[in-house]
Amino acid sequence: MREITLSQAVNEALAEEMRRDETVFIIGEDVAEAGTPFKVLSGLVEEFGTDRVVDTPIAEPGFMGLAVGAAMTGTRPVVDLMFGDFIFLVMDQLCNQAAKTHYMSGGKLNVPLVLRTNLGATRRSAAQHSQSLHALVAHIPGLKVALPSSAYEAKGLMKTAIRDNNPVVIFEDKLMYNDKAPVPEEEFLIPFGEANIKREGHDVTLIGTSSMVQVCEKAADILAAEGISAEVIDPRTIVPLDEETLLKSARKTSRVIVVDEGHQSYGITGEIASRINEKAFYHLDAPVLRMGAMDVPVPFSPALEDITVPTPEGVAENARKLMSGEMIHAA
Amino acid sequence: MSPAKTKTNTEDYLRMYRQMVRIRTFEDNANQLYLSAKMPGLTHMYSGEEAVAVGICEALRVTDKITSTHRGHGHCVAKGADFKEMFCELLGKEEGYCRGKGGSMHIADQSNGNLGANAIVGGSMGIATGSAFTARLLGRDDVTVCFFGDGATAQGLWYEVMNMAALWKLPVIYACENNGYSEYTKTDEIAAGSIVARAEAFGIESHQVDGQDVLAVNALTQKLVERARKGEGPFFIELMTYRYHGHHVGDINREYYRSKEEEQDWKVNRDPIIRFRSWLVEQGIASEEEIEAMNAEIKEDAAAAVEYALHAKYPGANEVDMHVFTDVEHALA
Amino acid sequence: MPHEVIMPALGMAQDTGLIVAWHKSPGDEVATGDVLFEVETDKATMEVEAQADGFLTQVRAHAGDEVPVGDVIALIGDTTEAVHTAESPAGSAAATAALPDGNEVIMPALGMAQDTGLIVAWHKAPGDAVAADDILFEVETDKATMEVEAGHDGYVAALLAEAGEDAPVGDLIAIISAAKPDAPVQLSRKGQPAAAAPAPAAEAPPQPAADPVPEKPAGAAKPAAKSETGRILASPKARRLALEQGLDLARLVVAGHPQPYHVSDIEVLKSLPDEGAGTAQAAAARHLVADLPGEGFTAFAAWAAETAGLKDADALLAGLAAASLGRQRAAVAVEGFGETRIYTVPAGPFGAIAEAEPGTPPDLRLRDLRFSRITAVRLGAEDSPVLSVAASGAGLRLTLECAAHQLSAGEAVSLLSNFAGRMEQPLRHLL
Repeated sequence: MREITLSQAVNEALAEEMRRDETVFIIGEDVAEAGTPFKVLSGLVEEFGTDRVVDTPIAEPGFMGLAVGAAMTGTRPVVDLMFGDFIFLVMDQLCNQAAKTHYMSGGKLNVPLVLRTNLGATRRSAAQHSQSLHALVAHIPGLKVALPSSAYEAKGLMKTAIRDNNPVVIFEDKLMYNDKAPVPEEEFLIPFGEANIKREGHDVTLIGTSSMVQVCEKAADILAAEGISAEVIDPRTIVPLDEETLLKSARKTSRVIVVDEGHQSYGITGEIASRINEKAFYHLDAPVLRMGAMDVPVPFSPALEDITVPTPEGVAENARKLMSGEMIHAA
Repeated sequence: MSPAKTKTNTEDYLRMYRQMVRIRTFEDNANQLYLSAKMPGLTHMYSGEEAVAVGICEALRVTDKITSTHRGHGHCVAKGADFKEMFCELLGKEEGYCRGKGGSMHIADQSNGNLGANAIVGGSMGIATGSAFTARLLGRDDVTVCFFGDGATAQGLWYEVMNMAALWKLPVIYACENNGYSEYTKTDEIAAGSIVARAEAFGIESHQVDGQDVLAVNALTQKLVERARKGEGPFFIELMTYRYHGHHVGDINREYYRSKEEEQDWKVNRDPIIRFRSWLVEQGIASEEEIEAMNAEIKEDAAAAVEYALHAKYPGANEVDMHVFTDVEHALA
Repeated sequence: MPHEVIMPALGMAQDTGLIVAWHKSPGDEVATGDVLFEVETDKATMEVEAQADGFLTQVRAHAGDEVPVGDVIALIGDTTEAVHTAESPAGSAAATAALPDGNEVIMPALGMAQDTGLIVAWHKAPGDAVAADDILFEVETDKATMEVEAGHDGYVAALLAEAGEDAPVGDLIAIISAAKPDAPVQLSRKGQPAAAAPAPAAEAPPQPAADPVPEKPAGAAKPAAKSETGRILASPKARRLALEQGLDLARLVVAGHPQPYHVSDIEVLKSLPDEGAGTAQAAAARHLVADLPGEGFTAFAAWAAETAGLKDADALLAGLAAASLGRQRAAVAVEGFGETRIYTVPAGPFGAIAEAEPGTPPDLRLRDLRFSRITAVRLGAEDSPVLSVAASGAGLRLTLECAAHQLSAGEAVSLLSNFAGRMEQPLRHLL
């Protein structure tokens, strides 16, 4: 199968859906000729014109709100938010308007929009351009949240998101735009709420999201060399969450580590760990461990930034502890 | 009163009068429901501002869109909503416009182009602009009117979307109902400079009109709507009006921000319904008897709708996780 | 139809309004817009206008009254005649007025997230005298069954829920009066004023039925909580596997295997040599021995027979054994000379010990071997813990055998230690 970058995969997904459905349009800062700072959208304005690839002033709440109204009245906007950190700017329009409109109207109004943005640290961009804020939106009922872990997922999930009749937020890892993965040439969609078992194992389950899937796979390689068999699972969407697949694996291996790049406290890792604890308790041979980004603003200095995110070595080390039966955090 | 056009507009005039009285009657009933503790929550009366909603909405087609505010009952009635479903919604009943999930501050009536009231001040400015964007992108000639109050002019969102609407010539009309008060504070104390000048700064054609004169409001809106349909938008209108009640029902002790004399003056001398009624009689469009009969009929309609809503069913508990997502019947199943 | 005049809701957080003055009197003619009365809230005083034309009748609240928002305070009728409506002016007040005065007993909140409690049984009947520390009733929550004391001295004037009924936490369920009530009340919750049920609930679809109250296994009187020190550290899965396979994790403790236990330790547990007579049930046996150099029981029995008329030495043995168990009331089977007698031992003097119905399940068996040739026993666990008493020189050898689920290690040690002390110096323990 051919290999393309994550950036190309997103571009293809958008182009295919815009060809298929003329109500789809892209709106955001420097999305047209500039094709975004990451060049993900290069070439789209040439094919679809400035009516459908719409450059906006630097006014995130404004174009987000505009997209909500456009979505309510018959179009399918794809809102481009240059950095995930800017999600704080659009919170009212996203969480008070888009997320609640369908419910508040008793099902009469829909908001079929996609907010595509990014997450991920270690790009030396410091505290306001490096955050992974997907837990914030996953907390709000009415929003779906997808976290592609490779070019394949980036394309399949984006196409599904555009066709979904609800507001969907997609976070791409900005460090993975140039990572290549096999992506079929023929059309495909990845349904929401279906986790992907990246690798089967029987000793410990590593649940990873977005770029942390790669971290888990590398940890699994390290562990395999030591005779520990790790299962790696990518939920792909955290809302909806494929709880069954995660629980099934937890029951099988009886040991689980959840790895996510959002801050560890009050985040995705805690939510998933808690569901496993509630629903697979009698199958657990060790506490479910959370591994998230350190609870500090992302520092600029490379010497500091690198130690704030989970690493394959760190995941492997925790897996070893679970296997050895060592007391973890016991008083 | 603005000069009459022709007698052929008789039906239009009577409908405008009727709609204003329907709004006033709706609000009187809602006020009573609230005061008698039969209505849960929080509600904001539109009484006094009827000529704004009616003058504007009578210039719109069913397919034209509006976005509304927390003080939204008037817009909803003016855009064609029924009493029964509205009262049901106010009381949280299953037959309400939003199946009881929205309430007073969130009534949406998409069949008449009402994209919904919004409980965030200024919250619908983006939505209205986006609705106009849809019309342009899909080549429809719909116009969208964005209702908001003077208080909302302080929100940054407005300046962001006005900028885009002006850049892209979107068919949207920003209608600022200036009732003189931003919640419990005089507008003078929260708005520096001129409100009209705010829109003019973006190169948007702007007007100020007497919001208690339904014919003036209607005549201006008709012209602007026609031009907006042709791509000459956006426009801004500041409508000078007054709210008879407090910020919300229960805001009774208001003398620290406005006097009873001021309220009386607006109610007696500038009431849009009284003014339009005497004009209708003067012009021979309707007799006092005909008007009284119309008022009585509306009162009866409202009473029947209230009675119906009071006895209507609440939604079943199984509805609580419905409509969270469009394609999932029960989000928590 | 008369128009209801209602105490208006004027503020966002207002529950009641104070009527400052009526501007109209009963029988007065009123018109829509007339000022009817003045009401004062925390925020302001406001004049309330009539909303209908007619005559003011049925004025139910007066100047100075504090009235809940939404209550009807008067009617505007078509005539001056007082229209009598079926509606009672204050439904709940009228209904509670029928209840006797006294201290209120409410359904206690026993858990942090508990909404209701199930009344298992009342220990007192209406009219009974009660002391503050008397057990008034037993209540069951999702967590436990608990006895609740009366909390007040006096008489049971009213019981407002029946055994088997659920009552919301905080609800009044009984009244204890200082004086003996003339007409004590017994009501079921269904007999309570309907005011307790919120109106919309009637139209809401039925809630999914709550799980039926789990049946308590017989003899579950054993306290659920174990002391923190006695807790074995093991993973949830290891515990589940041990339970499913009838394995006792305590054997790993005895074998000196380090905690915490995980699934891998279950294999170690399985490989431990069998203990006692081989069945899986017997695997969980406890066996403790105490040797006493001397004994005081013989002299005590003789003294008790002579001075207190307590001539049944077996009853005394049962009494000492039961006291060692540390329960309010216990059934003890005493086996000796080829026959078994079961005694009911309440807390208190030995004179209250009585023989129980044959077939009563004992909490404890006491095997008296003092007059046999047997000096040591290892017979394995039975349906209840067994204390064997055998002669040993001038003293006694006491053996306790039981299954692990009957007594924890700590409880077993405590029982045997207490019993040994009592057999050595019975009088000292009685005092």
